[in-house]
Amino acid sequence: MKFLCVPCDSPMKLQTLAPPDGGSLSVVYSCPECGYEMAMLTNPFETQLVTSLGVRIGPDTNANASSVASASVDEPVANARPSGDEKIEKNASTSSGQCPFAAMIPAMQQGTPESAGHATPANGEEPLPVRWTSGAETRLANIPEFVRPMARTGIERFARERGSLEVDEKILDEAKDFFGM
Amino acid sequence: MKGYHDIVGDGGSRVLEQVAEKQSRITKGLAKVRQLVAVGSGKGGVGKSTLTLHLAGALRARGLRVAILDADFNGPSQARMAGVEGALFVPGSRKVALPRTKNGIAVFSMGSLIPESEALEFESAAQGESHTWRATKEFALLGEILESFEWGALDLLMFDLPPGAERTVQFADFLEPRTSFVLVTIPSEVARGVVARSVAALSKGPNRLLGYVENMSGYYCRDCNAIKPLFVSTEPPAMEIPCLGTVPFDPELAQHCDRGTSLAELPETPVGRALEHVAQQLLNSLEPTMEPPR
Repeated sequence: MKFLCVPCDSPMKLQTLAPPDGGSLSVVYSCPECGYEMAMLTNPFETQLVTSLGVRIGPDTNANASSVASASVDEPVANARPSGDEKIEKNASTSSGQCPFAAMIPAMQQGTPESAGHATPANGEEPLPVRWTSGAETRLANIPEFVRPMARTGIERFARERGSLEVDEKILDEAKDFFGM
Repeated sequence: MKGYHDIVGDGGSRVLEQVAEKQSRITKGLAKVRQLVAVGSGKGGVGKSTLTLHLAGALRARGLRVAILDADFNGPSQARMAGVEGALFVPGSRKVALPRTKNGIAVFSMGSLIPESEALEFESAAQGESHTWRATKEFALLGEILESFEWGALDLLMFDLPPGAERTVQFADFLEPRTSFVLVTIPSEVARGVVARSVAALSKGPNRLLGYVENMSGYYCRDCNAIKPLFVSTEPPAMEIPCLGTVPFDPELAQHCDRGTSLAELPETPVGRALEHVAQQLLNSLEPTMEPPR
């Protein structure tokens, strides 16, 4: 979608993306010639349509480094989720805020930073917490959100089984080798 | 007054550019995959997933490097059949390593992530009306999977497609034109009719149609050691694409599939030989470069 300032016959530029409100995005455009501003207000369906493309919405941070703070389109989506499950809502706003499956993967509740390494084992005993080195965390952060919680839980289990309470890149490589990946 | 095409860019959100960049990353991620083969049908319940897994196994046994992407996100079955349910996903240096079957086939299936008691759901700003955006979301997810997992150097990446003639065409549109298609039918007039529609729809695009496989073409009776008819015999209509082979139904094999046992672990049967034949036909229909590595 493009916006044209009719009096100036000049393409308008995206300036800001306001915080989400009930699934609606408020996107402000301005004319670089006359400075006229207008806001595009999307309804939740329009928001969802553009969100479904899996792209970031907001001013191009490379081209508009001085722009007013913009919001990722994922934020309104997460905040606009129907209320009713506060636990899931909490997860959605922490480590897995952009995860599209936050509402339905039980393992995700074990994958937040708060609960990392504290997954309750079958025997009900609280396992010892597992620490992640920054290098391992970086590798975890590189993978898709929807796989991250399961990967975290599984790797921590793998580390504990080998008597380690720390996940570093060596453990990750060992896991890859162990499972023939 | 300027028109849409007179204006370069979209004012700063770069939505189209981002979509193009994602596609470029997908293409780059699949650069070392020699062949992309989608196994579809249009009709559901014809055995696409079973056939995909067994063909992958037969090709793997020939020494080819094979991976399966279970693209049926809403009804994933590869995780169970390939024995990678609850498999560990390990973060690599930049991408996620894929779980592998015992015989070394890399498999991505939503079934590894989502318990069978749960349905795939997405967060949505729009409450309801999912028909307006869901397909877009699922293809964005497919793109993320192609982009984020370590497919690496492969001879063959097989896509196990969901049912639906229109979905089959959507996958053809989304995947690269170099993706070839194999369609699966069963000896029923209804199934053949639906597959014929898929053939007609796919024929309008640039993707190659390698042929079709007639699955459940009779059943293998172990007591009689013979193939017996499963459907009332009808004259098969001309499908306008080559027949890569016919595969009988084997109740015991189906049971093994549910348990995640691979074909290679089972004694040789007429069904196994039929699958071997289809695998060879598939190889023959692909480029000559698909000969197993020496």
